[in-house]
Amino acid sequence: MFIVDCDCHNYWSSATVLEPYLSGIWKDMFIEGEKTGPRGSFPHGHRPWFHPQDFSRKDVRPETEADNYRIMKEKHLDKYNVGVAILTGDEPIEASTLANPYYASALVSAYNDYQIAEWLPKDDRLMGSIIIAPQDPKLAAAEIRRLGSHPRMVQVLASQGSVKPYGDPFYHPIYEACAEMRLPFAIHLGGHGGVNWNAVAPAPTTFFWETHAILHMSAISHVASMIAHGVFEKWPELYFVVIECGVAWVPTVLWRLDADYKALRKETPWLKLLPSEYCRRNIRFSTQPLEQPPNVQHLWSILEAMDGENTLMFASDYPHWDYDDANTLHIPPSWRTKVMGQNALDVYKRIPAILTANAA
Amino acid sequence: MAEKTYICRVDQIKAGTPFIAKVRSLSVGVFRVGETFHALLNICPHRGAPLCEGPQCGTTAPVEEARFIYHRENEIVRCAWHGWEFDIKTGSALVDPTVRARTFPVMVEDGNIYVTA
Repeated sequence: MFIVDCDCHNYWSSATVLEPYLSGIWKDMFIEGEKTGPRGSFPHGHRPWFHPQDFSRKDVRPETEADNYRIMKEKHLDKYNVGVAILTGDEPIEASTLANPYYASALVSAYNDYQIAEWLPKDDRLMGSIIIAPQDPKLAAAEIRRLGSHPRMVQVLASQGSVKPYGDPFYHPIYEACAEMRLPFAIHLGGHGGVNWNAVAPAPTTFFWETHAILHMSAISHVASMIAHGVFEKWPELYFVVIECGVAWVPTVLWRLDADYKALRKETPWLKLLPSEYCRRNIRFSTQPLEQPPNVQHLWSILEAMDGENTLMFASDYPHWDYDDANTLHIPPSWRTKVMGQNALDVYKRIPAILTANAA
Repeated sequence: MAEKTYICRVDQIKAGTPFIAKVRSLSVGVFRVGETFHALLNICPHRGAPLCEGPQCGTTAPVEEARFIYHRENEIVRCAWHGWEFDIKTGSALVDPTVRARTFPVMVEDGNIYVTA
């Protein structure tokens, strides 16, 4: 069985690795300017919740920059026979929290160049994400076009936290660029701070676990917004990938969207399909962290209601504290070939071409 | 048939730093809690993670109101991946005592620690 991990975090030990990829005023600000912590911190507007035991697995303890890949290879890629891992960075998506869109865009560009230069050459199994700072969609679109032809950059990635729901026409230049470069647009949990203050309704919650369990509120808004604003009518081949936002909420939200659309379709006359039909055609969800009810049949009924066999894609979230390993993912056994890899190969169309080239 | 495996000397295990050893074919963490020693299988019953590679720590005492009493220092191991807390002496998960990490008998003889498995 071929495994594609749709969420593999390539950590750095210090954000100073980006210095060679920055220039001019941005390099000056990055080195001399205020940061979120001491030198080596990545500039971002922090969220109001601190993780009580931090994000990383405690058996992943890099001491040098080289350790970050060495441990990923040993404890994840080789151990679980991962065929392809899509790198999702870690802190760089947090650039979306900065008010200054020009600095944010420079930071993600530097990260993208660092990823291409220092991560992709390490291992043929690694594929990259073009991380964007969505607060300036025109600059984000330029970044997508700058790197969109690279054969191993397989998606455009932004944080779940954003200043508006992602279907808003404000963001459409991003999807135009994605469609032009034939790249999926993905969002990953995170970016819930700084200018993206409204991560949860009606106001920030108190504790980390309480918050983490309901952060998919933003993903619900994005799914509804992408559908309602007609993104998938304008770009019918665009895939929207929702990473690390859970999945068990999806069918119940679609039931509600379909019911309300049937009554009130006059508000959005540009739509031609039911919300659930757009979702089935254009939206994919990564599995991690897959919900764990006491009776797994309850989960499987819900996953069936969202056609999970065809809409779910495996993700590990290596090396985070809520990691799902490939061997024990609790999905129906007959779905494994599709969910663990095939569905991702259908969405990330560049990957099969690379695999063929590598094999030749 | 259970057999006795030599682990290390008593002074090689400090509270907070378990000794992870091979016992037959098993990876086992041996912990010091005060003056006693306890062994847990290095596999978490929650999702199979390397349980004993997480921090040996204390935790917050159950209370009726918002007070934070950090207690049981070094009596708890917090799993390396998902952070579930286990009582090192019994192997029971704090959040659900029916979830248990496997424990093994530990013997100390002449300053040497042995685990039977």
